[in-house]
Amino acid sequence: MGISSWLKERIPVSGDQLRELTNEPVPNHLRHWWFCLGGTPAYLFVIQIVTGILLAFYYEPSSRTAYNSVKYITDEAAYGWYFRSVHKWGATLMIAAVILHQMRVFFTGAYRKPRELNWMIGMCLLLLTLIAGFTGYSLVYEQLSYWGTTVGANIGASVPVVGDLSKQMLLGGETYNERTLSRLYIIHAAILPVLTIVLLGLHITLIRLQGVSELKFSSEKEGEPAHFNFFPDHLLTEIKIGLVLMILLSVLATVLPATLGPRADPLSTPEVIKPEWFFYVAFRWLKLFSGTFAVITTGFIVFTMFVWPFIDSFLRRRKGLEEASVWVGILAVLSIVGLTVWEAAVAH
Amino acid sequence: MSEHPETPVPPQEDGELDRRGFLARASAYAMGAGLVTSYGCFAAMAGRYLYPARPAPKAWMYVAEVAGFGVGSSLTYTAPDGATVAVARQKSAGNVDDFIALSSTCPHLGCKVHWEGQNQRFFCPCHNGVFDPSGAPVSGPPFEAGQSLPRFPLRIEGGLLYIEVGLEGLPTGEE
Repeated sequence: MGISSWLKERIPVSGDQLRELTNEPVPNHLRHWWFCLGGTPAYLFVIQIVTGILLAFYYEPSSRTAYNSVKYITDEAAYGWYFRSVHKWGATLMIAAVILHQMRVFFTGAYRKPRELNWMIGMCLLLLTLIAGFTGYSLVYEQLSYWGTTVGANIGASVPVVGDLSKQMLLGGETYNERTLSRLYIIHAAILPVLTIVLLGLHITLIRLQGVSELKFSSEKEGEPAHFNFFPDHLLTEIKIGLVLMILLSVLATVLPATLGPRADPLSTPEVIKPEWFFYVAFRWLKLFSGTFAVITTGFIVFTMFVWPFIDSFLRRRKGLEEASVWVGILAVLSIVGLTVWEAAVAH
Repeated sequence: MSEHPETPVPPQEDGELDRRGFLARASAYAMGAGLVTSYGCFAAMAGRYLYPARPAPKAWMYVAEVAGFGVGSSLTYTAPDGATVAVARQKSAGNVDDFIALSSTCPHLGCKVHWEGQNQRFFCPCHNGVFDPSGAPVSGPPFEAGQSLPRFPLRIEGGLLYIEVGLEGLPTGEE
């Protein structure tokens, strides 16, 4: 008995069945790489899992050991600097990719009926990615990451009703203490990845069930096939994007490797304190208004983003405002870019 | 095996449950409730387990003799958790209201404020909060929200000044 027939007996799936399972017709617009940004965060997520597991071999999550273990990874472990830098840049690119993917979905109206729920799952994935960025940065236990965590936890505490509870649950106490880092570590390395895998699975399942939203370009000729094969055509595009990302990550990791600032000092906040770039918007917003107002308005904006498909539907059907989402989107992008640049440009 | 004769069931009106149907539904509800209760218990225990078991320990610590603490003078007290506290005497009434011990933790989002001697103000580098020497907010988010710098509790006992401070701090500096 040959190996293939031995395997076939034990895994009774035929090539045709597999082809049928993977061969979803892909709309022609996905021939352009900028419409394939949805696969990019998923690919980067896999990179984060692999490099994260490698980092976990040496990382020790306690306030007495964390900083030195990161130092060991960076300075002594063979290629430790590379894996840590790829993990850091992978996080940055993943957040950028999720935002770009979301912008593409928003401006092409791909969240509209019947894809409202998948938009909401995507919003959850965006939030999970941001929280992963926040908790991951806090694990380094350098000055900025320590104070970033303190500020982040206190922002949570400003939320009415559940604020104090959320802070206690995040820090494991009223303030940053000996039990905080292990908590942040388990959130970052176990809870968030599991939640992300579950939601990513749901996200992709819904895409397969509903099909990729169709876009028609004026340049496309009538009579041409509107779709192409997922396997192998689209898969090859994704593999190419993956390779480009891997090269980009390696170049970034080599040219701009992850550095290590001074060790956390709970008694002294640095003169200039900034979070990671993706929180510049929120950081500037917090400087403009009192804590509770800033937190409530941020919560309101996030909630509006969650339910935008329904608001958009209401505006289009009841009010006839077909272009409302475009203008709201442009306003949102300009505001986010404006606040980010403002925060980046000044020390305080 | 012999079959038991079926008990004749009286005809039911639409929507009315017979005894067997009622029992089946009741046991399904009971089972559902049991599952929700037991897993709910488990979740509640997990939630309580994750919530801090106790607040951070604090204690009243000796600072100075009241008699030797002149009006207008101040001293720097270092707490067991590592916090440095400026304790000052502002009045001469002889009670605890004469003294203030300002915390350097910004009431906005918990960063440490710095004393800027040239501007005679406390400045928080996180979100630009500014406080006057008495800890009252002058500008920035704490001013918007009317938040002063917190004060450590003080008390006088037997002519001695005590302060309530935290006992557990995180390690500082290189290990």
